[in-house]
Order: sequence, then structure tokens, then C-alpha cells
Amino acid sequence: MVEFLQFTLSGIVFGMIYAAIALSLVLIWRGTRLLNFAQGGMAMFTTYVGIEVIYKTHSYWAGFVIALAAGLVLGAVCELTVVRPTTGKPPLNAVIVTIGLLILLEGLAGIFFGGQYRSFPAAFSIIGLRVGGTPIGVSRFDVFVAVAVLIATLALAAAFRYTAAGLRMRAAAFNATIARLSGIRVARVLTVGWALAGLLGALAGVLVSPSTFLYPNSMDAIFVYGFTAAVIGGLDSAVGAVVGGLILGVVLSYAGGYVGGSVGSDLTSLVALGILVAVLMIRPDGLFAGARMRRV
Amino acid sequence: MSAEAAEASAANGHAASLEVEGLVAGYGEVIALDGVTLSARAAGITAVLGANGAGKTTLLRAVSGMIRPRRGRVLLADDNVAGRSPEQIVRAGIAHVPEGQGVIPELTVEENLRIGMMSWRGKRAVRAAAIEEEYARFKPLADRRRKLASTLSGGERQMLVIARALLSRPRVLLLDEPSLGLAPRVMAQVMDLVVQLSREHGLTIVLVEQNARGALAIADHGVVLNLGRVVASADAATLAADVALRHHYLGF
Repeated sequence: MVEFLQFTLSGIVFGMIYAAIALSLVLIWRGTRLLNFAQGGMAMFTTYVGIEVIYKTHSYWAGFVIALAAGLVLGAVCELTVVRPTTGKPPLNAVIVTIGLLILLEGLAGIFFGGQYRSFPAAFSIIGLRVGGTPIGVSRFDVFVAVAVLIATLALAAAFRYTAAGLRMRAAAFNATIARLSGIRVARVLTVGWALAGLLGALAGVLVSPSTFLYPNSMDAIFVYGFTAAVIGGLDSAVGAVVGGLILGVVLSYAGGYVGGSVGSDLTSLVALGILVAVLMIRPDGLFAGARMRRV
Repeated sequence: MSAEAAEASAANGHAASLEVEGLVAGYGEVIALDGVTLSARAAGITAVLGANGAGKTTLLRAVSGMIRPRRGRVLLADDNVAGRSPEQIVRAGIAHVPEGQGVIPELTVEENLRIGMMSWRGKRAVRAAAIEEEYARFKPLADRRRKLASTLSGGERQMLVIARALLSRPRVLLLDEPSLGLAPRVMAQVMDLVVQLSREHGLTIVLVEQNARGALAIADHGVVLNLGRVVASADAATLAADVALRHHYLGF
């Protein structure tokens, strides 16, 4: 029973990180019908920016804030310089461009920051919390991870729902033609979407790196799980992304935890694939996809 | 122009004429609009008629910037807007109500209306008042402001799309088949509204219609397109009286 609680809680923590990556993918997908394969690479790169700032300033929070800011900027820059020229071209062009961007970012990270594994500090203690002497499987930092992603998600949801900028983004995502005819500068809205996606990716990178080490490929696996979470949720749905992330995090935690050893950790990616296949067999458009079919 | 019209056009700047000169536009290899010239009088209704494929919809698209004209000028008052983007053209004062599917069904009625005000800045109170004005004009929308636009009937959707276009504070309104698919009674209401907008509010209206008889009944001027060219341009009454033209191009 205690084990079950531990696995569940730590699964939720990792699930929140997958959810952050999934959300960033959904943001871009809804605006442009493009899957951003560079999302993990962007997150990795901005996490490196964060670690450099932490080393220079000896302040975790300076690194944290600047990593997020770097995510915003990198997202916008990538959209403006690399993705924008593919507008109006066949969709495959944009896909290949984002894959190229991923390789570019990983190469640049190797050149600037080196290829060795680096440990990323945590904001709070990573020693497991205990309730009445029993370890519950999560640390103070894990709680911070879950709360940070939750706050980011809720803030984003509120901004989308209640602000004029959020309405512009929704209108542009649902129907770009009507949005433009109404005076919405859709190109600018897309840039903002990429910036926000970059910010979420940076958040995920900073939050996951204390558990994984940081190296140029360190976000690849996280990206795959985030992508899986987004597809489980339906790619179109922010709620779906979060639920997909949590489902994936918890199930993978059970798989890794109960099976144990190296078999358990090897098993997780297989289990992720299993969940994906199972969900897509039952609901081919994902759990939270709208009932309406969309032209892609 | 009535006193109200003068007042309304003063609020919107001035009633503006729309002059289209030698407009050429198309899709890929296809030339859908082959040198169209027409003049829409300020605060008047200009009907654009013709068979399917005559270029009516393409004309509106080229004017509003949805497709980029290859040649020609689009003069709003004396400002050539040809070649600008749709988001710039709506700011210049031309609102385009495209045919069918004009609402965003995933958004509420009020959100659809707020989108109409994205082209100008204004205080919260001014914006709220502008929306209330449209609710007063289109009462069925007022009762459903928090409902998703997908729950509206065809007539209500058409009201919503026109209301959204009006919220951009246009001087010229381009309407593409506003009566398409509506019940005859609702169709008559839409036509009455079009008349009201031009007579009382000084809006310059370009009305594309398949229903040529109905359009000529309310228009001041009519232009007939065929295969991307203007084949007739005259007073609405003159066109409606021309039996040969009606027979050949207008189908009534």
C-alpha cells in the first residue's frame, strides 16, 4: 500500500513534466497543425542557459527565471527565422525543418556547453518526504515541480480564456481566415504561440534535469514521452495534454517500480508504446479530441 | 443622405466610395478575375451578379486581401489598398463577410463578436457599448451571448457574422451571399437590414448575390460579371428591366 502511494505520487510528478512538454506541443499544433520535433532540443538548450547563469550568479532563481525567458525568446526566434519561411509550403517541409532545428540545437549545445553529463541543481531538498516516519516517495523539490507545472498550466488556461490575447490565439487557431478578416495579425499570434511553447519547454527542462542530468540529448526521451502524452490526449486539447501526461507518468512509474531493476527501467518505454497503441485503438483521435473531424 | 446617415458617417469618418480598377486575380494558373472595373457609390448598395464561376466571390476576396490581386487598384476613398494584407485592409475600413461558415462555432456568441473589435483599440466601456449596440440591433443574439455559436440557427449565424463585421467599424461592407440557405422570411429580414445599413448608417455596401431579383430590388447599382469580366454595369432598375440580360446572365 505504501509502495503504491509512493509510485503514484512520483508518477504524478513525472507526469506533470510530460504534461508541460505535451502542452507546448499542443500550443503549436493548434495554431499551425505542425508537430514541433525541436521542442525537446529547445528545452535542452534553454536549460543549459539556465545552468550557466546559476554557475555565474550562484543563484538558482536567477537561472530559473532566465531559462524561462530564454525559452520565450528562443521559441519566437525559431518561429520567425526557421518555421515562418515554410508557410504555404507542403506540411512535410515544416516537419523536416523542425527535425533539422533539433539536430542544430543539439550540435550547438555540444559546441557551446560540452557533451559531458552535468548535474543540474534542484530548488529544494531532494530528500524524500516522510509522513509519520513513512517515506511517501516524493521530495520537497518534487512537490515544487508539480506545483510549478500546475501554476503554469492554470495561468495559461486563464490567459486563453479571459484575455483579449488569448481570444486572438483561439480565434487564429480555430479559423485563421476569419481571424485575419477581423484584423487579427495571425502571423504575430503564431510567434507568441511558439514563444509560450518555448517557455513551457524551458520549464520542463529546468524541472526534469535534476533527475536526469543535462547533456545535449537529455531531453530526447522526455520529448518522446511528452509527445506520447499529447497524442493520448488528442493533440488538440490542453486538458488532454495534462491528463495524458499524468496517465503516462503514473503508469510508467508502476511499470518501473513494481518490475524493478534494469528490466523495469527498460520496460517503461515499451509500456508507453503499449498505452499509446491501446488508446489509439479505442479512440483514434485521442481521449479529448473534439467530436468534429478536422481537415489537416 | 438622411440626417442619421450623416451623423453615422461622421462617427465613422466619412461614407467612402469603393473604386475597383482593372483588377486581375486568380488561383494558381487560373485567372478568375480578368480586369474588373467597378465603382461602388458611397452609402449606396452595389449588387454584383452573375452565374457560378463568374468571379463574384473572387472579386470580394481580392478586395479584402484574402487573395493578392495580380494587377489593378482598389481605392477606398483615395487610398489604394490593393496588395495589403486582410488585417490591414479591415483596419482601412473594408469589412468582408465571406460566404457560409463565417462564425467560429467553438467560441461563444460574445467571443465571436469581440473578435470583430480586434482591428481597433478602445476603452473597455467603449467596447462594451459597441457590443450592446449590436445586441440591440440583433435581439436573438443578446439572449444567447454565453452560448456557443454552434448552437445558433442559420439565420442567427448570419446575424452574428454581420454583427461581427459591423464591430470592425467599417466604411465599406462586402457581403457574399448573405441570404444563402436561409428561409424566405429570414432572407427578407437580411435584405431589410442591408438597406438599413446603407440608408441609415451610411455604409457603402457591395452585395454579391445568387438571388439576382432580390438583390436588384434593394440595390442602387448593379454589375454583372461573366467569366471574370464585367458584361454590364447600370442602375439596378435598368438591369432588372433588361430582359435579354436577365435571360442570359441572371436567370430570372
